[in-house]
Amino acid sequence: MKSRWISFIIATFMCISLLSACGSKKEAPLGDDHTSQQTEQAAEPSGEGAKDSVIVAMGPNSEPEAGFDPAYGWGAGEHVHEPLIQSTLTITKPDLSIGYDLATDMQVSEDGMTWTVTIRDDVTFTDGEALTASDVAFTYNTVKEVSSVNDFTMLKEAVAVDDTTVEFHMAQAYSIWPYTMAIVGIVPEHAYGPDYGQQPIGSGRYVMKQWDKGQQIIFEANPDYYGEEIQMKRVTVVFMEEDAAFAAARAGQVDLAYTAAAYTDQTIEGYELLSFETVDNRGFNLPAVPAGTDADGNILGNDFTSDLQVRRAINIGLDREEMLTNVVNGYGTPAYSVCDKMPWYNSVAEVEYNLEEAKAILEEAGWVLGSDGIREKNGVRAAFNLLYPASDSLRQALAADTQNQLKELGIEVTIEGVGWDTAYDRAQAEPLMWGWGAHSPMELYNIYHTLEGETAGYSPYSNEMVDKYMDDALAAGDLETSYELWQKAQWDGTTGITQEGDIPWIWLVNIDHLYWSRENLRVAEQKLHPHGHGWSIVNNVDQWTWQ
Amino acid sequence: MRKINGRVRTAFLFGMAVLFLALITIGGQVFAEEAVVTDFSRKNLAPCESYLFGTDWMGRDMFVRTLTGLSMSIRIGLLAAGVSALLALFLGIVSATMGKAVDSIVTWIIDLVMGIPHILLLILISYACGKGFRGVVIGVSLTHWTSLARLIRGEVLQLKEAAYIKVARKLGLSPWQIAWKHMVPHLFPQFLVGLILLFPHAILHEASITFLGFGLSPEQPAIGVILSESMQYLAMGKWWLALFPGLLLVLTVVLFDVAGESLRKLLDPNSAHV
Repeated sequence: MKSRWISFIIATFMCISLLSACGSKKEAPLGDDHTSQQTEQAAEPSGEGAKDSVIVAMGPNSEPEAGFDPAYGWGAGEHVHEPLIQSTLTITKPDLSIGYDLATDMQVSEDGMTWTVTIRDDVTFTDGEALTASDVAFTYNTVKEVSSVNDFTMLKEAVAVDDTTVEFHMAQAYSIWPYTMAIVGIVPEHAYGPDYGQQPIGSGRYVMKQWDKGQQIIFEANPDYYGEEIQMKRVTVVFMEEDAAFAAARAGQVDLAYTAAAYTDQTIEGYELLSFETVDNRGFNLPAVPAGTDADGNILGNDFTSDLQVRRAINIGLDREEMLTNVVNGYGTPAYSVCDKMPWYNSVAEVEYNLEEAKAILEEAGWVLGSDGIREKNGVRAAFNLLYPASDSLRQALAADTQNQLKELGIEVTIEGVGWDTAYDRAQAEPLMWGWGAHSPMELYNIYHTLEGETAGYSPYSNEMVDKYMDDALAAGDLETSYELWQKAQWDGTTGITQEGDIPWIWLVNIDHLYWSRENLRVAEQKLHPHGHGWSIVNNVDQWTWQ
Repeated sequence: MRKINGRVRTAFLFGMAVLFLALITIGGQVFAEEAVVTDFSRKNLAPCESYLFGTDWMGRDMFVRTLTGLSMSIRIGLLAAGVSALLALFLGIVSATMGKAVDSIVTWIIDLVMGIPHILLLILISYACGKGFRGVVIGVSLTHWTSLARLIRGEVLQLKEAAYIKVARKLGLSPWQIAWKHMVPHLFPQFLVGLILLFPHAILHEASITFLGFGLSPEQPAIGVILSESMQYLAMGKWWLALFPGLLLVLTVVLFDVAGESLRKLLDPNSAHV
């Protein structure tokens, strides 16, 4: 008996030492640099004399698996950002309007089917070769053919007319093409191959100097950059989990570390907590058709959420401010649409929290309180199962808070964590906690527009007028007109996707992106970050300064 | 002071261990609904009087959550240990009594199952059975029988040579009659102790597989889920999320071990006079 206890104690100690070994391993990438031959060029804590370099910690998912190739999602992937290494034709300005990078002018034909873009003639790639219109055409034709992470089906072909003019022949009118041009990095035709992603050559602000996979990427300023002077000569990006990033900041090993709302009650000496507003929203879909099956026999629709009055009651019955306090310690803003504060956002979407009115709507629609506090109508129980991605504790908390709040309304919500392998299919019949938010109105289209002969892609819903406005918006001659049409798609006075309309999605919160930043680091003004707590922060790292 | 009889002491130990485990199991069941309640007005509380184990980032009471999680672990363990023990008894006896061919097949299966790293096999089976609760139960049940089966097989081989078994055979009893009438009663103590000692393994494996995320979805109270969630909060100084559930898991496993050992001492003639 005694020996058992001793061996148990020993085993416990072994476990503890094993755990601490894991912990120290995580910090290895930084520690190693000081001892290896890279000491000179790698991440050194920026004390005195290191005023033009910065070390940024991001999550492990931010590391571009397929390298720095726009065709495989660098910049132009699921989470869009500026590609840093490459130049883009246009840029999105802080107010999300369009500005120029490589482009000097762009024209669109009357029918919207041809875009003509002229580009600068003084730009060279970092290998010394000039960047010409044929590189641009090559890039776009390549991404159209290869990209599996972004949609380029609206483009038919890109043609270089002369050295500085490129024409995009569209397969369909696409008025928001400039937003696509803002994320596609131009690659050199002469140096592009299967391993381009590992050895990227571009004409952008930075050159990739070193990439230790799974650990860090080091960028250095491009000395021949054509644009504004680059303030940060060296940028090191390290990849670590949230808790490791927090530990690294506390140890003073990084200058800027991403963090989550759960850490906001902590403080780190010498660091401040930076919070940036975003359009990185969370919300859930409410299948807008009754339960049934589609042509392939997949389950689709939901008898409870297909009642329009139910969806309206839920939308005003949720206290978004309380949710923000509860779930993200106040670091966020209430969300009323997938595109809050974007130029194409229709502010009619905003609603006031009103529990009494929500109850009244349900009563009027015939949903009567049962003896257990849950409503019922014609034998249908006011209940649904709310799914959330199992790996995401923030969305879990949002789902749990939704559950608590809707109980007040007499709606019974159960929550269930699911993997992405089944989430998309199940969301056709059950609400799922999503995260969206992009620097392009195309997201409205993807969420609300009816697919051919079916309903909308992510959650069953369909409205002809909404479809028409969005089709018109894409066909519009200029961006200004298109913004107006995108807004009308949301609400035109009689129909739309807002509270008074069909409200097939409920938007809850925009999550602020949080960072621990050294107190004397000046991070330049950020545009509203899109979905994805990753590379967006370094969009303008060249303009950051030390004080 | 008079020294308490060792047998009584062991029996007392056994009784206490079983009682405690029963309390956890029943308590967890009673609080099952309480365990999934989220209340953001009481989030991130350190252990205090009303919340013995503190609360987590969604304001869930970690005490009831841990209790419910362990209760589920114990119930999964019970099922898994039961299935495993019966499987082991059956295969062990079959292997030893049905002749060479059957014996080599059974030993081959035992070697095969033992040859694959346990946790890997567990993950494979539970994945193949559709993850979730069912996957975990099937996975844990089907992977724990091997060592007990081997033990029983050896025991039966030895029994076969015993005089009274030989006599029984000469008297014309069928192999099954011999197995049931003469061998099972003899094997019963081994079997019972083996069954109880399977528990700690089954529980720890259930904890590991839910920890790794192959089992239950995160809102469900399972001890592995609780522990893996708590890892994220250690850096923030929320030590109670990992410490108490971890300790209680260790305590549960140790108690099963104590119960099994005490029972062995009481039943095994070699140590019956402790």
